[in-house]
Amino acid sequence: MTRAFRNISRRKIRALLVVIALGFSIAIMISIPAGATANQASTLSLTENLSNTITQTEATINQTLTQIDASLSSGFEGFGFRTSGIGNFTPGQFGGGNGGNGFTPGQFGGGRNMPGQFGGGAFGMGGTTAMNETLYADISNIENVASVVPILQVSEGANQTVEMFGRTFTRLIPDYVIVGVPLNSSIENYPVLPTNITSGRTLQSGENGVVLLSENNTLFFEAGVGDIIELLGETFEVVGVHGSSGVEDRTTLYMSLSDAQSITNNTGYVTSLKVFAKDSASVTDVANAISSLHPELSVVTAQQRLTQLQAMQTTYETALNNAEATLAQTQSVAFEEVGVAVAATSLIVLFLMLYTVRERTKEIGTLKAIGFSNANVMSQFMLEGVLLSLMAGVVGIAISSVAAPILSGLLLPAASQLGSGTFTGMMATSNSATTTSVSLTPELVLIALGAAVLLGALGSLYPAWRASRTRPAEAMKYE
Amino acid sequence: MSEAVLTLENVSRKYMLGKRSVQALSNVNLRVNKGEFVSIMGPSGSGKTTLLNVLGCLDKPTEGKVLLDDVDITQLPEKELYKIRRSKIGFVFQTFNLLPYLNARENVELPMECCGKPKGERSKRAKELLQLVNLSGREEHRPHRLSAGEQQRVAIARALANDPAIILADEPTGNLDSKNKQEIVKLLANLNLTQATTIIMVTHDSHVASHTERMLLLCDGKITKEKQGLHSLKKKQICPYCHDVIQPDDIVCPSCQKEL
Repeated sequence: MTRAFRNISRRKIRALLVVIALGFSIAIMISIPAGATANQASTLSLTENLSNTITQTEATINQTLTQIDASLSSGFEGFGFRTSGIGNFTPGQFGGGNGGNGFTPGQFGGGRNMPGQFGGGAFGMGGTTAMNETLYADISNIENVASVVPILQVSEGANQTVEMFGRTFTRLIPDYVIVGVPLNSSIENYPVLPTNITSGRTLQSGENGVVLLSENNTLFFEAGVGDIIELLGETFEVVGVHGSSGVEDRTTLYMSLSDAQSITNNTGYVTSLKVFAKDSASVTDVANAISSLHPELSVVTAQQRLTQLQAMQTTYETALNNAEATLAQTQSVAFEEVGVAVAATSLIVLFLMLYTVRERTKEIGTLKAIGFSNANVMSQFMLEGVLLSLMAGVVGIAISSVAAPILSGLLLPAASQLGSGTFTGMMATSNSATTTSVSLTPELVLIALGAAVLLGALGSLYPAWRASRTRPAEAMKYE
Repeated sequence: MSEAVLTLENVSRKYMLGKRSVQALSNVNLRVNKGEFVSIMGPSGSGKTTLLNVLGCLDKPTEGKVLLDDVDITQLPEKELYKIRRSKIGFVFQTFNLLPYLNARENVELPMECCGKPKGERSKRAKELLQLVNLSGREEHRPHRLSAGEQQRVAIARALANDPAIILADEPTGNLDSKNKQEIVKLLANLNLTQATTIIMVTHDSHVASHTERMLLLCDGKITKEKQGLHSLKKKQICPYCHDVIQPDDIVCPSCQKEL
């Protein structure tokens, strides 16, 4: 053992280079399976998130089948109903009616972005524009309308410029979404506020200066029930926290409509009207009546939303299938690469040990002359090879603990693109970017060391055998 | 007649060099008794090293018998030969052949290690042997920190490690300056005198050979001449120069003051 160590340390630079080369090879062996596993995990979690989101949204919509959403889509360019309104609104700034691709057009109205019902239009609804509440008072007079609940929804966050289809869009990355709901008797009769309160309580009629945060919001504001938070210069007391029940709920906080209008400079304006029909049978009639009364409004019934959602689900499923196919491909690539790394490791050991045996022929001859048996000589060289690759195993673990994500990113095709490309784009509001993380588990470390020992033994088997077969008389002649 | 430790009977060794066959040894007969100090001389290519390799179980003769302690080593399979090498033969090489990554003591311990001697015992014996070759205090030095003469002395100590029946020295002075040459020959002669070690030494150098007991001249694979060396006189405790009586461990002749 000591001899093996000393022999290795005899040629320090060579040993170092070989250990590093082997280390990389072993690091690849470690990183790639870890990377592949991480990719799999991230795809799985993506799938899970998506199906949860869709299920939750479906459930919410099913609960509210009598609901009709009426809003001004930003697609109605130049309608100009707010020219007399607040701020620097001009029709041309609506961005050309790009509703549906997930980008809210630039600044308008009171200087606030007002994305669609589904948070940035991820669900194809397009941006929504503020509408003067008083202009739509007549909707409540339509036959079979049970109630009209005006809603103001304003996203707060930072703008990000995105190039797409050769054009530049400003995309809002929302930190949180304020939803103002009239806190009157209608909130008790109609499902306007979230129902799954995870702590505290929901908003009650007649309240002001209070907010109901989402779980996501509590992290953003670092606040919980009973805390006071500041929103756009006003302070609010957190009375409750709701769990999300759909895409739009994850970053949404609820407060009274009047509070929302006042802090966002939208007094008198709302972004949508939730119209409730008396029963589900009359939903279509009511929707038609709203459309004929106000042709500028985008009227969507819960049923239509459900249909849209289902269509989208199909799209997602196709995409997921593609992702899974890519994943399978990734795994076969991973398998091949690990195979190459394994072969490389044993070959490096093989060549090094062959070289060493050749270089030390005379020494082998001496050892045999003074009485070393073939087995003695063989085990000595085997030990050296194994020791060397064990050192390389340690180096490999060190390398991969630092560079595993880089290595697997370099060597594995698509998984990170899976996580950050199309999917996260689609899921902008529901999930922050999924990152590929590669973790070194103790099992992986053990496997790596085991593999190093095994490959070292494998690689040095033939050279050691050659050494043991050396005829001492020949070896002594060798200079 | 004293006991033979090594007997060669009609030993021949042929090599194939390409298509040409080379007769390195032909019909060599030799008997070496216990406690003898024999030198083999001869020009390059005369078969000295081949003979030594055959004696040392490093090479097998194509014909003939080699009896070492009454065992015909030519009949033994390779896996038995290393045991003979390990226990009965000690090698001293022209180029010392110490393992550079081991210190003097560890080099001497090597042959004992493959016999499975316990570590403590090995280390003790190695120190004793190094003392015997006048290297006390240099036990922990690696070969590169020792002079050529010192390295050869370590190699001699290593050859003695397992108390071999015979020491085979292949040009042990070939890489040494004259002062060190002298010392090594004296050391070997002294070991032969005091420890009764049987030594067969191959050398080019007639001066070195003259210090042995019996000188054999090898020519074209045959032993062509044999004569007595000065050591035989010393063994009989007679000064080789003035023929007065001396003691075995005398360095200088008490009568003529010549270096022995």
